[in-house]
Amino acid sequence: MNRWRDSAALWATIGTIALLAIWEAFVRIRNVRKFVLLPPSEIASTFLETPGFYIDNIWVTARHLVIGLAIALIVSLTFGALLAAVRPLEHASQPLLVLILVTPWVAYISSIVLWLGRGTPSILFLVSFVTVPAFVYATVGGMRGADPAARELFASIDASRWEVLWRLRLPSALPSLFTAARFNVGLGLAAAYFAEGAALSTDGLGEAGRRAVAFNEGSILWTTILCTAALGILGQVAVLMLERWLLRWHASQRRTTR
Amino acid sequence: MHHYSQPVQSGDVSSGNVHGIRATGVSKRFNSVDALSPVDITIARGEVVTLLGPSGCGKTTLLRMIAGLERPTSGTITIDGDSPESASRRKRFGLVPQSPALLPWRTVEANARLLQDINVGANPSSLPDVVELLDRVGLADFRDAYPHELSGGMQQRVGLVRAFALDAPYLLMDEPFAALDEITRADMRHLLATLSEPTNTGVLFVTHSLAEAVYLSDRVVVLSSRPGGVVGTVAVDLARPRVPQLEDDPAFFAIETTLRRLLYSGASAS
Ligand SMILES: Nc1ncnc2c1ncn2[C@@H]1O[C@H](COP(=O)(O)OP(=O)(O)OP(=O)(O)O)[C@@H](O)[C@H]1O
Ligand SMILES: [Mg+2]
Repeated sequence: MNRWRDSAALWATIGTIALLAIWEAFVRIRNVRKFVLLPPSEIASTFLETPGFYIDNIWVTARHLVIGLAIALIVSLTFGALLAAVRPLEHASQPLLVLILVTPWVAYISSIVLWLGRGTPSILFLVSFVTVPAFVYATVGGMRGADPAARELFASIDASRWEVLWRLRLPSALPSLFTAARFNVGLGLAAAYFAEGAALSTDGLGEAGRRAVAFNEGSILWTTILCTAALGILGQVAVLMLERWLLRWHASQRRTTR
Repeated sequence: MHHYSQPVQSGDVSSGNVHGIRATGVSKRFNSVDALSPVDITIARGEVVTLLGPSGCGKTTLLRMIAGLERPTSGTITIDGDSPESASRRKRFGLVPQSPALLPWRTVEANARLLQDINVGANPSSLPDVVELLDRVGLADFRDAYPHELSGGMQQRVGLVRAFALDAPYLLMDEPFAALDEITRADMRHLLATLSEPTNTGVLFVTHSLAEAVYLSDRVVVLSSRPGGVVGTVAVDLARPRVPQLEDDPAFFAIETTLRRLLYSGASAS
């Protein structure tokens, strides 16, 4: 009886249609200027005029995001495992992590470009740099949170550090790592978009958006913005699906019966 | 680390026997807390020894020191003449903790195999068949289930299988059934008795339950309240194999009563 009420996909679709309808109506009725907000129908037609242009740029930004996050993850796992094992080091690294979190990128992006050069290296650096703290916190917290009774069990047969790390601490950190990943997809995308516009690169959604602003092209700007949002949603869905599969044992993935 | 293996020669050569677990004058102090007064305890292969004592008297602490997870403040512990650290390196202990401590990302079968999968170099040449052990404890149909799909009693059975799968000469069990209801608990002690029956394993079992102590043990060591010291040791010379009907036997009650008196005298002593 409650099937249709519990269908998440159905309600998400209804919500999306309602949002688009209200958006379209609002822009048309209030006669909002193109540059301020573009109605969805015009975004669609702008996209269809030159789909290749947008798809190419989505692809470039997606690559920046994925490679940047992958670098951040590798650095964070290595660094985090070390911090989880050595408490003084964890305390010592706090100022650095907090500094990365609170300092606005706008302030130092030019220095990065000056240091690493224009284009990809600077963009990848920024994406990785800003997403490292959340991954490190997740790694340290998750690894520390490993079941103490299980740790004793491992110690009772003299498990090596590597075995404890690989078979106990890393899996224990997975749930918090996925939470961080969902947060970092959004953060990393914003960083990639911003860096593309600021690092004098030749392509990417951020660069397309910057040029649209420079040439006062409201429809291109809004189509770029929506493409960026679509990429973000795609990223979230990808993380969610990976999480479903890798964390099928975890409480968060359990189907509740009502 | 090496000073642990030295006392063997002085302490045990005189008795002519270094086999079994031997704790001599072992005490533990945590900062300002005296957790355990010096105690002597031995566990031979094929023998089930139970530690019975009020809460906080140091039972877990003693068990953890034997397993090499904690250093004694004084005294020596040897396992077949070896230090606890060296014994754990050689996988001589099957530990059954109070909480089942199953890894939620491993299936039942993979959890049961956990101790086999770690420190593989120290495994004996042939290991028990995990699938067969799971079958013996009635979990054959749950091999591919995840721990969260099991009841508390089933989880603890996986914990037992995980320890038995190691085929270690010594099993150390810290109140493994404490969180279970009375009926499941009784089932579990019958199961444990049958599992350990034909083996040559030395078992150190910690419990609060008098019935559990009598049913499973060859000897019960009663500790006084914190800091725990040995109040008395009671031999349980009931026939083996132990069967459930035994719990209605007057001899069973008699031992239970002896233990209760000892326990209460030890609890009021300090
Ligand atoms: N790591 C520790 N640090 C400080 N004190 C500890 C530690 N472990 C145990 N203690 C103290 O040592 C005493 C004995 O603890 P232990 O856990 O051995 O008792 P127990 O006999 O197992 O009790 P229970 O039956 O409740 O499990 C307690 O007073 C406890 O507070
Ligand atoms: Mg205890």
